[in-house]
Amino acid sequence: MSLVEDVRQIAKKYPDSRSATLPALRLAQERDGWLSPETLREVADALELTPAYCKSVATFYDMYHLAPVGTHLVEVCTNLSCALAGAQKVVDAFESELGVKPGETTPDGEITFRTVECLGGCGYATVVAVDHRYKQKVGPDDVAGIVGEIRGAQ
Amino acid sequence: MGLSNVLLKGADERDLTKLAEYQAIGGYQGVPKARAMSSDALIEVLQTAVLRGRGGAGFPMGRKASLIDRSSPKPKYLVVNADESEPGAFKDREVMARVPHRLIEGCLIAAHAIECTHVFIFIRGEYLAEYEILQAAVDEARGAGLFGDVEITVHRGAGAYICGEETALLDALEGRRGQPRPRPPFPPVQGLYNAPTQINNVSTIATVPTIIEMGAEAFAKTGVESAPGTAIFSISGNIARPGNYELELGTPMRELIYDIAGGVPDGRELKAVIPGGSSVPALAPSEIDVPLDYDSLQKIGTFFGAASLIIVDDRCCIVQLALRSAKFYMHESCGKCTPCREGTRWMVQLLEKIEAGEAELSELDLLDNIGSRILGRSLCALGDFAVYPTHSYLSKWRDEFVAHIEQGGCPYGGASSLEGIEAPLDAHTHSPLPVIA
Amino acid sequence: MVTLTIDDREVTVPKGTGLVEAALAAGIEIPVFCYEPRLGPPVGACRMCLCEVAPGPPKPQAACTLTAADGMSVRTALTSEMARDAQNGTLEFILVNHPLDCPVCDKGGECPLQDLTFRYGPGNTRMTFPKRTFEKPIPISPLIALDRERCILCYRCTRFSSDVSEDNQLVAINRGSQSVIATFEDDPYRAAFSGNVIELCPVGALTSTQYRFEARPWEIQNSPTVCGLCPVGCNVSATTREGKVKRILSRNHPEVDQGWLCDKGRFAYGHLNARDRIAEPLTKTGPRRFEQLTWEDALDRVEAVLRDADAATVTALSGGETVEQAYALGRLLREGLGAHTAVLPEEVPDRLDAKRAPLSALREAKTIAVVTDEPVVERAPVVDLWLKAARRDGAKITYDTPKGRVDALVTDDPACADSCDATNVYYLPRTPNGRGVADAWSAASDGEARDVKPRVLIVSGDEAATDPNVRAIAADAETVIGIGMFEENFRGLADIVLPGTSYLERDGTTVNLEGRLQRQRRAVMAPCPDELAWVAKLAERFGVEVSAHASLVFGELSERLFGGISFGEVGEQASLPARAAAEAPKEQVPGTTVPGTGLRLVAYRPLFSGAAVERTPELQFQKPDAEVHLAPADAKERGIANGQTVTVSSNGTSLELRARIAKDLASGVVRIAQDHAGDLHEFVEVKSNA
Repeated sequence: MSLVEDVRQIAKKYPDSRSATLPALRLAQERDGWLSPETLREVADALELTPAYCKSVATFYDMYHLAPVGTHLVEVCTNLSCALAGAQKVVDAFESELGVKPGETTPDGEITFRTVECLGGCGYATVVAVDHRYKQKVGPDDVAGIVGEIRGAQ
Repeated sequence: MGLSNVLLKGADERDLTKLAEYQAIGGYQGVPKARAMSSDALIEVLQTAVLRGRGGAGFPMGRKASLIDRSSPKPKYLVVNADESEPGAFKDREVMARVPHRLIEGCLIAAHAIECTHVFIFIRGEYLAEYEILQAAVDEARGAGLFGDVEITVHRGAGAYICGEETALLDALEGRRGQPRPRPPFPPVQGLYNAPTQINNVSTIATVPTIIEMGAEAFAKTGVESAPGTAIFSISGNIARPGNYELELGTPMRELIYDIAGGVPDGRELKAVIPGGSSVPALAPSEIDVPLDYDSLQKIGTFFGAASLIIVDDRCCIVQLALRSAKFYMHESCGKCTPCREGTRWMVQLLEKIEAGEAELSELDLLDNIGSRILGRSLCALGDFAVYPTHSYLSKWRDEFVAHIEQGGCPYGGASSLEGIEAPLDAHTHSPLPVIA
Repeated sequence: MVTLTIDDREVTVPKGTGLVEAALAAGIEIPVFCYEPRLGPPVGACRMCLCEVAPGPPKPQAACTLTAADGMSVRTALTSEMARDAQNGTLEFILVNHPLDCPVCDKGGECPLQDLTFRYGPGNTRMTFPKRTFEKPIPISPLIALDRERCILCYRCTRFSSDVSEDNQLVAINRGSQSVIATFEDDPYRAAFSGNVIELCPVGALTSTQYRFEARPWEIQNSPTVCGLCPVGCNVSATTREGKVKRILSRNHPEVDQGWLCDKGRFAYGHLNARDRIAEPLTKTGPRRFEQLTWEDALDRVEAVLRDADAATVTALSGGETVEQAYALGRLLREGLGAHTAVLPEEVPDRLDAKRAPLSALREAKTIAVVTDEPVVERAPVVDLWLKAARRDGAKITYDTPKGRVDALVTDDPACADSCDATNVYYLPRTPNGRGVADAWSAASDGEARDVKPRVLIVSGDEAATDPNVRAIAADAETVIGIGMFEENFRGLADIVLPGTSYLERDGTTVNLEGRLQRQRRAVMAPCPDELAWVAKLAERFGVEVSAHASLVFGELSERLFGGISFGEVGEQASLPARAAAEAPKEQVPGTTVPGTGLRLVAYRPLFSGAAVERTPELQFQKPDAEVHLAPADAKERGIANGQTVTVSSNGTSLELRARIAKDLASGVVRIAQDHAGDLHEFVEVKSNA
């Protein structure tokens, strides 16, 4: 099914089709990897909204990418509980393992690495989300394995 | 009255994500019971139970239901706030992952109370696994014909702490930027799609089946008088056994920290407890002899909040703690109202200067005063949340702030547990626009 | 009514009154930035209005979001330290990242932020960090520049875009302190009402590119007048400096325009100084060439031509003239020569006066029928905003001839206006003052028009000069005398041209689509004498007395047309005359259009067209796209999706256009802007290219 049809199906679940904006943006991002201007125009058409409106919404939320990202996304929580448990050491380990800083993508375009605010796994620090799947109680020693797993899965 | 197993009851023994398992322990029996009652009678039951909102504000759930304008010709909506984003909180996540049907049963009962036929569960976008479990449970329960004329839509957020604020959540659910709305009008009068709307936290709604099961009077006798029942307490940070513990309200904080969760590990000393998630005033070690309930915590100048304790040991520089926290609130400020948008940024700038040892003593007062000018003046509570912890650090650990200034740098000399901690804000992940200076 | 106290002053206001207005009634200011009731419900964003309110929580309350209640006590900065500190704090926060570049800011001197800072703000700053900086100014369109550093994020502009004009093009992007106002990528803010955001902006963040660095507030004058570019007649102020119009601002008439103004009315004033503006009389020297004449010679020539033709003179009027101009011309030609024949721009049925109502009444209508060939926004732009407001308030709007009774009818079809059952009827004429002109012409003399072979044609105004019908008559006339502003429009048409004035350069009255008589005031001197001046002189030569002063001309005709009110009584904010007694509708002559096969094409005249727009370079980007508008049912039947390329064809001619599905269109009709309609015939077929 096309994006337009998918979006229309989602919109039917709500009393007002505008409510489908967040799901529609997510669908489009899952398809294209990020929300390019062209993608935003397509979503806007499907929802009968304007591209400007869709961009306004998309730029408000952390989970939408307004610039290209890698095939895989590695997110390390550095909020208080994880930080107190040593999240920075995990960040450092990812930095050296991947050779990029938070907010950057590996040169091969495979992995985008970033720090994120609380993921709701505070009791199981440090929390790392790999493509939105949580890995909990991650220590610096686990990082090489996680990266290997991501790369191996390709 | 001992009661410690309400929300998670049975989850250790069975896989309660399965409908049959949940029904095997009496699940969903509350729905026909509730539906046999009139809406008024059901609201009366909920009022009698004095179920206080577990999301943070502690407003009695039955009272909220009674405020719904049921005479309105518009549809009435029940919205479940599953946008758990408060740093330190991870309890709703466990409810959804382990006892989704209890939440769904609660939805069906609460919906009946306000004559609602469309329930929305707004789950934070990051909770992917929990969404999958919850959605499967919704589908299974619907398939089993348990919904009647009620529909439940699970709506995923997309990454914004502010959407935990109920009116911002409504805007996000309507497909907008999740920014808070002014009140009045209040959601029970004009909420989702401008229709009367009840909004409750996951744990609140998931407690409702138990009230129907044991009876409101019996429930009201549990916990403490002002706040019956249990809460799942999330405990994290520098603690030996972090995790979620469902306890009766009124359990002593010291008991949770030391007896249940094993105290501060590695032979370190307790330095601070942030008792309700990162947004509430922190407590010094001398203040932890307090029962864990709304009123008791408020009496000593802090809040029950999200029932989420962050334990901080003596390796942590308090200025770094304040700074990391402030960066979070600046990152999450929605940008709608002036004091929060501008003030949180200014606070971060000042805290960075203090941590760098470049501030003057007068700037501590400035920091304090900026906080006072945000507090109570923002459109929603996020502004307050940015200030409460900072104010508490500044008043209870002022010596440490002064030491930074006098020593021209952090007295921990790089050994603080939060040394160098990077925040998303540092990478400007939320600003695709070029910022020149 | 409810009674409350504000700073200890007791005040009684109607129930539901907001605190900002209640305070105003007590003579007290509650300062605001984001609050603007015309944009919809309050948003409580800027926090400038924080006051101490009892009963209420023990913290400052956003007064703009509260309504007055009995026994309420409100304390502003005047009597409450809590409110004073809160307001002072809000300004401090606003200013921490504001550049304070007032000396080079266009808003300086008329800036709410400046004013409120003087009254409520801190005298100095405690901010020691570098301010947030942005690339600036960014053109968000050829008309509007955005300075993000000055922006205080009050969201007035974005609320206008989403909640009033509903174009959703100007938005906020990003979150928190990174939030900025933006359009989509590099797209210009292209919408009929975009310029209103400049006026709504309470700081110098959104400024007019035309007005940029043109004047300071203490050097300017504002003349209250009425826009002369469409039949709505929005109330405006013309800002002038040293005898030049520098900008046009809206001037809120709550019944007419609510303070909104379309971009044509706001920005097209550049036509006053167009390169081909006629300032002296001209005489034809070649097929497309003119030479200047002295006024003496010109009047002599015109007199001679008229004396020769006498009653064989026909006058074509534009509908843009004032009532007084049309009347004076009528006196000269009809009384002086007996030349009673006129080509009127259009006929507006007087009978509609029995169903007239202010435009603001549209907002109260629950059922509205819009029966127009042309899009409402293109013909009478502000009416479209009233319709949108009505729809937001829950009105049901249909776009077909109504079957039963409706509360309001908006139509450009006189037959429909006559025959449809509606409580209020809004007829949309084509010209700004077609009705006033027709009435004035008819009031000028009691003589009857006779059938004459026109020897001399007088073409009054640039609109008439570009009208194909008028041009056809001109082809048969011996001599054509033009009166107009722009040389280009009279080339190849007129033998003699006398210079005309713009609506911004003259005094007089006009009658808008509601039937409301309004005053135009001279904002600047024209580069030529006023029409009334030389018409009076010429009339004298024919023994007819006409005053050269609009007020005296009006005095002469008022008794016959406007119930005898005086020129002064028309006022700066004109009221709508009471409804006339109902008249029996005229017998309808069945239309002569033979139903063709396919879709009926309406080649509409776009809002952004005409002599004034052509001469304003900044407005060119607003011209319509090469699109064909289809009703949803017609599109569906042909499998056409929004945005798709389609072929529109009729009798051997065809065009490729982009399809746009328009919900405000009746089935069986398609619309294309005149500019893009090519040689298509009246009935067309549309095919998907996919």
